[in-house]
Formats: sequence, structure tokens, C-alpha cells
Amino acid sequence: MTEITTSWICLFSPLVAVIVIALGGNRFSRRAAGVIATGSVALSFAAAVVAFATMLTRAPGNRSHLSTAWTWLSAGNLHFGLSVLVDPLSVFMMLVVSGVGGLIVLYSIGYMHGDDEERRYFAYMAMFVFSMLLLVQGGNLILLLSGWGLVGLSSYLLIGFWHERPAAIAAAKKAFVMNAIGDATFALALFLLIAKTGTLDYGLAFSKAHGLSQTVLILIALGLLGGAVAKSAQLPLHTWLPDAMEGPTPVSALIHAATMVTAGVYLIARTAPIFQLASVVQDTAAALGAVTLVMAGLIALVQTDIKRVIAYSTMSQIGYMFLGVGLGAYASGMFHLLTHAFFKALLFLAAGVVIHALAGEQDIRKMGGLRGLMPKTYAVFLVGALSLAGIPPFSGFFSKDPIIAATLERGGAFGYVMFVLAIGGTFLTGLYTFRLVFRVFHGDRDRFVDETFDTHHGEGPLVMLLPVGVLAIGATLAGWLQVPGGWHGVSSWLQPVAAPILETTNTQEAIASIVSVVLGLAGAGIAWWIYIARRRPAPAAVPAFERKFWFDELYDALFHRPAVTTAKVLYALVEGPLVGGSMAGIAEAVRGLGTGTGRLQTGLVRTYALALAASLAVLAVVFLAVR
Amino acid sequence: MANGWLTDTLILLPLGGAIFIALAPLSRLAAGLLALAVSLVEIAFWGGALTSYRFDQNIPFVQLEDRTTWFGELGISYHVGFTGPALWLTGMAAVTMTAAIAYAVWVRREHARAYFASMLLLTTAVVGVFVAQDYLLFYVFWEAMLIPLYVLVGVWGGPGRLRATLMFFIYTMAGSLLMLTSIIVLGISRGTFDIVEGGVSNSDWIFLGFVAAFVVKAPIFPFHAWLPVAYREAPAEVAGVLSGVVSKAAAYGFLYIAILHFPHPTHDFRTPILVLAAIGLIYGSVLAFRAPDLRGVVAYSSLAQLGLITFGLFATNLAGFNGAVLQMVNHGLISVGLFMLVGLVELRTGTGKLDRLGGMARGRPALATVLMTLGIIALAVPGSSAFAGEFMILTGVFTSGWGWSVVGAIAIVLAAMYMLRLISAVLHRSKGSAVDDDARDLRLPELAFILPLVACLIVLSAWPAAVTDHNLDVVNAFPALERFVP
Amino acid sequence: MKGPDVTWYLGVAAFMFATGALGVLLRRSPLIVLLSLELMLNGANLALIAFSRLHGGGAGQIFALSVMAVAASEVVVGLGLIVAMARRNLTLDVDKLTWLRG
Repeated sequence: MTEITTSWICLFSPLVAVIVIALGGNRFSRRAAGVIATGSVALSFAAAVVAFATMLTRAPGNRSHLSTAWTWLSAGNLHFGLSVLVDPLSVFMMLVVSGVGGLIVLYSIGYMHGDDEERRYFAYMAMFVFSMLLLVQGGNLILLLSGWGLVGLSSYLLIGFWHERPAAIAAAKKAFVMNAIGDATFALALFLLIAKTGTLDYGLAFSKAHGLSQTVLILIALGLLGGAVAKSAQLPLHTWLPDAMEGPTPVSALIHAATMVTAGVYLIARTAPIFQLASVVQDTAAALGAVTLVMAGLIALVQTDIKRVIAYSTMSQIGYMFLGVGLGAYASGMFHLLTHAFFKALLFLAAGVVIHALAGEQDIRKMGGLRGLMPKTYAVFLVGALSLAGIPPFSGFFSKDPIIAATLERGGAFGYVMFVLAIGGTFLTGLYTFRLVFRVFHGDRDRFVDETFDTHHGEGPLVMLLPVGVLAIGATLAGWLQVPGGWHGVSSWLQPVAAPILETTNTQEAIASIVSVVLGLAGAGIAWWIYIARRRPAPAAVPAFERKFWFDELYDALFHRPAVTTAKVLYALVEGPLVGGSMAGIAEAVRGLGTGTGRLQTGLVRTYALALAASLAVLAVVFLAVR
Repeated sequence: MANGWLTDTLILLPLGGAIFIALAPLSRLAAGLLALAVSLVEIAFWGGALTSYRFDQNIPFVQLEDRTTWFGELGISYHVGFTGPALWLTGMAAVTMTAAIAYAVWVRREHARAYFASMLLLTTAVVGVFVAQDYLLFYVFWEAMLIPLYVLVGVWGGPGRLRATLMFFIYTMAGSLLMLTSIIVLGISRGTFDIVEGGVSNSDWIFLGFVAAFVVKAPIFPFHAWLPVAYREAPAEVAGVLSGVVSKAAAYGFLYIAILHFPHPTHDFRTPILVLAAIGLIYGSVLAFRAPDLRGVVAYSSLAQLGLITFGLFATNLAGFNGAVLQMVNHGLISVGLFMLVGLVELRTGTGKLDRLGGMARGRPALATVLMTLGIIALAVPGSSAFAGEFMILTGVFTSGWGWSVVGAIAIVLAAMYMLRLISAVLHRSKGSAVDDDARDLRLPELAFILPLVACLIVLSAWPAAVTDHNLDVVNAFPALERFVP
Repeated sequence: MKGPDVTWYLGVAAFMFATGALGVLLRRSPLIVLLSLELMLNGANLALIAFSRLHGGGAGQIFALSVMAVAASEVVVGLGLIVAMARRNLTLDVDKLTWLRG
């Protein structure tokens, strides 16, 4: 089979699962729904592997193919096909999405066991995987946008999965609306692109983009960046991600850590030619990433919900990826995306095991000393934490450092500011990561743990531990795909699609590695000093961090309340009078007209006769005059 | 004039059904089932029309024609035939009217014979508006829509139905009379009332007369005062037909008569019309976001959607036209579906107030799935057919000025806000005070008339080009438009 | 047959019409108003016949005949009404008869 056939199989396999589960309804057992969903994603993964293997046999220049099934939408000269693009970048993403996705769906079978709406859950999960695959495989920008919107929809459905919790529903709506803002700017960029180039096919649009004016390019890139920022929870559209933790934990792992939130990075890499032509916007992306990574790291320091800490850490890590692709080190950004998918999914799933064992409790102040009770979970969590903190030889070390090195290569005031922010981030990462490790697994066991921990249940069934184990292996080994000064597996694979615009030297790599490892260890050390040596029970309260820099309050005052007020004012001043008033107005007008004309009716025959005669005279005069 | 009989059948079949049902002494069920059968046959004939229509830009743009002289000396004739957009809209009308009739059979409307005769009469009138190729015939069908609607809202409506019908009647009559004036002036000055033979005109006043009728019926802000009252008081399925089907008659009028036959006045007046559409788009969305009841949300969203469709039409280019026609079909299906769901929820809970509903997803998977699917298509989630339509509309209007597209983009965000609010208010959170445990899930017969609408939307989502690829013929027949079609 | 010029006929017709019109406008008795109305009609008739003769067609004469028929019927109704009013002892003054005021 060619890579094109397998790509189509990869794309539609989860969609078939959605349809089967939706139509089957109660005819399937709950477990069967989980198996169908997992099987379909596993099939996708297998197809992606076959596609990858087939492409390996081809020359690097001959690895990009576009296959169109039918014209999806058209008007006049505009034609948008339903097509898949099979090239190194999309296959890379297909592998990540279906691979990590398959593991997480498998884990869900154990995690969601006993929920009375499991079938709905698995239908949504398969729907998400389909949407994400459409996003990365779509052969033109309108399909990318379609996948973009559908992953937002799946995310909405899954965040609000427990729909009787008001907080979950509010979080789901917030996520959807913030993403809709990104969708809107994305769409505006596409309108501009269509108006100027008349196409949304990647190749054609990029080649025509060279002839566009700088203003147009900047506007297009800004629109795309708006979409990327909203989807990837970067400043200033980031407030939805922490709230999204209301969803089931596997959802957080799949959507809000491994795949969907990294779509912004994919978008920037995919539309790299446009961003390169609008370098101001590309720098903006890098700067937003750098600021986000520090800010999210600071907020993560004071969060008390285990999932929210990891969520802020996700924002921070995506900040690194934005920094990477913003600087033009596309392969580094994508490489960090890959390793992050492993170690962050691992952290979430391990956290899920903890939450599962503690009857749904997520507050780390009620945890502590779990190391003894859950040794396997502790081990894999530690692997994830070391990887996140960038400690060699775990994968985060290999993927984060090239990004930091790229800031040095960029140089100049901009580059060095980015460098400082990035290494500041590594320090914060070490600090909040190990704060979490020490609070949850070390120290004294909280009384709450003794009361709720279900010793019979233990660390969960095999279907939960197996994916966690595989992810732990991935988090440990994935870094070796690319070793500075050694080999460049990811870079050379992605070279044909997204050639980097800067090359780092070995010296820069070395400096970046040493500085970041030292700072990461320093952060971990300080965490040890605070939480183990001094046994501080809770983090110090810093209002700015606890209030998350007041973004929620700001948006509430800036958008939500004005919208509500506008609606009320419009209703009172326009709609009420228009609807209620027009009826009364019409009645009044008709009555007035009647009274007015009634007065003409004097009842005096001679008045009528006079009027007749006078009108006749006037008419006669008019006719004579006109002639 | 091959296959003209198909067009005649599409007009006359429901009319015959209506007369038979009105006269024959049928039981309630028999009347309903007969009406349903007639409308199903109507769909079948539409399928015949679809297969015999040739989407070819090189042949005459009005196909399946039939023509008989009516008042020879005045140049009035019974002249009917399909244009590409009319074909799709007729199909949409046939499908949604069938669903609405099935709904009425299911909820057992009182005075069944009068009710179903009115519904079939309405079908005839709507199809007639889409296929009329003579101005006077167009006017006859246009006014014929009003009579059954007046009866349907006035007899089977809610407590405030008399006020609603009066407002609806006065508003639309005012618009229609201006249109009649325009038609008479146009026909007398030309010596023919034929739309095709008449060709294009440059008269601003005649154009504005037509526009008056269309802006009221659509409605476009600020001529929508009848809308919230009528949509709240009408029976649910009639409200759906009003917002889904009857409004499309106005939108089609904009496209086929106002724009294509008055290119210069269109060019002169498009900015004010676009401004009104933009205001309606934002205004409708904002009010939908704050409306206290289900029908309010759907009603104001309908105002917003019509604003969007007007956007596409007055973009006056191919992308805009195609997007608008696609969106007309989408909105017809969505609106009828949503109103029927609203009606079913109201039947179960006795209220449409959002603050008394909630928590209906638990234990009612079919209701939750259908409402969720329709809702997310209605908010134009990317990948859906509504998204395809909106994308094309905004692409089209972008060439007229980027500001219009920005307004459209804001409306996309607002649409997400009000639709999610509606979905959550019905399905999510804890149980509302009006929701009893014995409020049942959607039952099989109910699914039978809602699911086909959802299925049509899903098919269109997979292949929106089915519509957009296949309705260009009419636009291409008007070379006068070329100067502003890019 | 040659009579006076058409202008003369028209002069007489106009005079009759004007007399009638003044009568309608100025007199109060409904009977006289009715009578004046007849005078106006006959003025019009005279004009019709004059033109008919001038142009040599028969249409004017036919019109005049129809006008006479209409005038006769109108007088029947009008007189009937006046008699009815007189029987009910109402004042026969058109300025007092204002029941149809709006």
C-alpha cells in the first residue's frame, strides 16, 4: 500500500469508530465502545507507521504527496478539495497523534470504567482523534481550519463531559469561545489570503505569497498567529487551559497536553513560508512564547490542584515550542512537541492514577507520602518530572536545549532577552515540578490519604498501567532521536518541509545545555530545601500568581460585562420600543389618519360640490398650463 | 420546454392535496397521513426535477419551463421554471415542510383538515415563489404564502397569537404593496410581466419597491419587529417554517429579482443594505445571547443568519452568491430542526424559559445528541456545512471591504456564545425546575422526522460543493453583473 | 343643413352648465338642487350633440341618450328621497342635512 492509501485509512478509521459507536448505542457494552475506539486509533497508528516506513524508502525530495478525494467547496475560480497532504511533517504529527492518542484511549478504558456514559466518552475521544488527524493531514488551509474547529469542538465536548458540574460546563464554554476567537482571526487571515492569492493550497499560496506587500503578509501572519495563540493557550488567550482541567484526566492528557494544544506550533511550522516573509510576526510569536513560559511557570508555583500545576506547566512548555518555531528552529520546536507529548501525557496519566486512587481528590495539600503506597506510579511520575525539568538523559533535556541554543544563535538584544527568559523558565520548571513531586509523593502522609486510599484497588488495572509504562519508556528514550553534535533524526526528517532558518553551533548547544541543567537542578534543589528540609506545608502566597495575573478579571471586565450590558441596553432602548412600540405606533397612526380624514366629511352637500367644482377648475388650469 | 410538467406538478400537487383534504370528510389521522404522503411524493418529484436538471452553464438558465398565456394583452403569463438556486431551495422547502407536517401529525393538531390544508397550501405558495418566472405570478404566490401563515399562526398559535398575526400581517402587507406597485409599473412600462423576457432594469424606485417587500419578509434589521412576537406565538413547526423556509423566499427574491435584474440600483444601494445586514447580524447575535427563552434565542439567531445571508448576496460576487445559497439551504434545515426540538422540549416541560430548564442530557441520550449536533452545526463549527456557507459568504464580502468580514468574524464568536448557552441551558447542569423525571427522551417517531434534517446537514457537511458547484448558471446568465463580479 | 357655428352651441351649453353649477352651489332646497343638476346634465348633452354634429359621428348622440337615461333614473331616486324626507317632516334644507358627517 502506498502512503496515500494508508493516510486515508489513518484519517477515517476513528471517524468510522464514532459512527459505529453512535449508531450502535446500547447494543454495545460499555467496554466494547472502549475497545472499538482504541482499536480504531490503533489502526490509525498502524497506518501511520506504514506510511512512515514507505516514505523512508523514498528519496527525501520525493516524500510529499497530495491526494484529493473530491471538491469540498467551490465558487467560481475557487476550489477547495477534500485532500490529504502526506509529507514528513504531517506523518510526524500523525505518528504522535495516533500513537500517544491510542495509548491514552486505552488508558481511558480503565479510568472511565464505571462511568454511566462511557460510550459517549469514547465516541468523543475517537471524534477528537479524527479531528486532530484532519488538522495535521488536511491538504489545504480550509481543511486545516476545519480540523482546527473540530478539535475545539471535541475539546468542548470532553471538558464538559461531566455535564452536571456547573464548573465543567463553564470551563467548556470558555474554552470554546476563546478558541472561536482564534478561529475567527484564523479565518480572517484566510479571507485575506484568498483575496490576494486566490487559493488556499499550501504550495500555491506560499509561492504566490512572495509577491505580496509586507502589510498584507503581516496581517495574514497575525491572523494565523491569533489562531495559534488561542489554540495553544499562549498569552493573551491562555485563560481557558487551566479551567479545562475540569474534564476527565485522560482528556487533559490527550487534548490539553499531548496534541491539540500543540496545534499552534504545527500551524506555525506548516505555514513557515508566510511567517518567514513576515518576520515581525514570527518574532512576536517567539516573544509571546518566551513571556508565556515564564509567566505560566510563576503561576504554577502556587497552584494547589495537581492537574492545574501540570496545565500551567503545559502552557510553559508550549511557550518553549513557540519560542523555537518563532526563531525559525522548526525541527527543534517539533522535536520538543514530540518529547513533550510523551512526558506530559505521562505526567497527566500518572496524576490520573493518583486522583483515581484518592477518590477524585486533586488538591495536593491533602496528599503527601504517596511514594510508599504507589511505588510504580512514583517511578513513572519521577521519569516524567525529570524529563520535564530537562535533566539528562531524559528526553526533555535533548529537546529543550536546542531551543535555548537557538536564542543564542539569534543573538542581538532580542536573542539575549529570549535567552534569559528561557533559562529563567528552566529554573522555574525545576522548582514547580519538584515541588509537585515532593508534595505529592514525599513527606508525611496526610490523614486524608489514609482515609481515602483504596488499598484493594491499588494503582489501577493493567489497561491503565500499560500505557503509562509505554509512555515512560518513550519519555526516557525519545530524546535520543536527536543528539546535539551526534545525529539529527528529527531535523533531517523535517528538512524538506520546514528547513530551519538558523543553525546552532556545538558551542551554543553546550552552553545552553550546561546552563539549563544547572538551573533546572537548582530549581529542584530549592524545592527540596523548601518542602523536604524545611517541611513548609504550603507555598507562600503571592497575590499576582494566585490571581493568575488578573487575566480572568480583565476579560470579564473588558468583554463579558460590556457584552451583557450592551445586550440589555439594546433590548431596553431598541428592541422593546421597536417591537412593542411599532404595534402601538401603527394603531395610533391609523386612528389619527381616520380622525383627520373624518373631519373632511362635513356632511354638507354643497361643500362637496364646491370641492368638486374647485378641483375641476384647478385641473382645467393645470391642463391648459401644461399644454 | 422538456419536463415542464415536473415543475407544474411540484406546484399543483400540494394544492390538489390541500383542496382534497379541505373538502373530503377525513378523520384527523387520515388528513395528517394524507398530507404527509402528498409531501413525500412532492420530495420524490423534486428528486425527479433534480435528476433532469442540467447544471451546465451553456444552456438556458431557466430549465424545466412551462408557459401558458394568462392575460395576453397585458403580457402576463403562467410562466414557471427552475434556476439552479431555486432547485436547491425547493428541495429544502419540500424536505422541511414534510418534517413539519410529520411533526404536526405527531403532536395531533386540532382542526386537522384546516391545518393540513393550510400547510400544503403554504408548500404550493413557497414552491411557486421559487419557480415563478412572471412578476405577477411571483406576486400571486408571494401573497398566497401569507394566507395559510395567517391562519396557521392565528388559529393554532399561543396566547398572544392575535397580536402576532396582526403585526405579521400589517408589516408584510405594507412591504408587499410597495412591491405590487413596482411590479405594475415595471410590467406596464415593459409591456410584459415576464421576468426572463423583461431583462434588467435600472430604475431605483422599482428596485426599492421590491426591496421593501424582501426586507420585511426576511426580515432585515430594523424591519423585524414582527419577528420575535410571531416566532414566540406560532406553533413550533410553523415558527420553524417561517424562519427556515418563508424567509428564504425573501432571500431568493433578493438574489433573483433585486440583484440580478437591477444591477445598477444594486450597485448604488448595496452599501446601505450591507450596513443594515451588519447591524442585524451583530444585533441579532447579541440579543440571542441574552434572550430569556428558547424561542427567543432561535428567533434572534435567525435574524442574525438572515443578515449574514444578505451579506453574501450583496457581496455581488460568485463566492458570496454561492455561500449565500448554501447558507439558505443550511439555515432552512437548521431552523426547522431547532424549532421542532424547541417544540418537543416545550411539550415535555411546559415551558421554554431557559432558567427553568436544564439537566436534560442525563438519561435522554437521543435528545442530547440531536440537540448538540444541530446546535454545533448552527454555530458553524469549522467543517460543518454552515461553516462552509459562512466561509464562502465572508470570502465573498471580503473583496467588497475587509470591514464586513471582521463584522462576520465577530458574529462567529457571538454565535458560539449564544448557541452554547442554549445547549447548556437545556441539557447541562442540574435539573431545572420544569424538568420532571418522567419527561421522556426523544421517541422513535420523533427521531423519524428530525433525523432526516440532521442527516441532510451531515451529508452537506461532507460535500457542500454539491450546492456551491451547482448553482452558477443563473448568475452567469447576467453579463451586466460582470463589472462587479471578480 | 347648415345652422350656426359650433361655437354658439358651446356657448349656450357652457351657460346652461354654469347656471346649473351655481344653482347646485347656492340654492338650499334639495328640489332646486336637483333641478340645477338636470340643467348641468343638459348643458353637457348639448355640447355632446354639437360635437357629434361637427364631426359627423353618431357616438355623441348615443352618449347624450345614455346621459338622459341616467338623468331620468337619478331624478327618480332623488325625488323619491325628497318625498320620503318631506313625509317624515324633515326640513328640506341641504345645509341642515348633515347626518353623514364624519
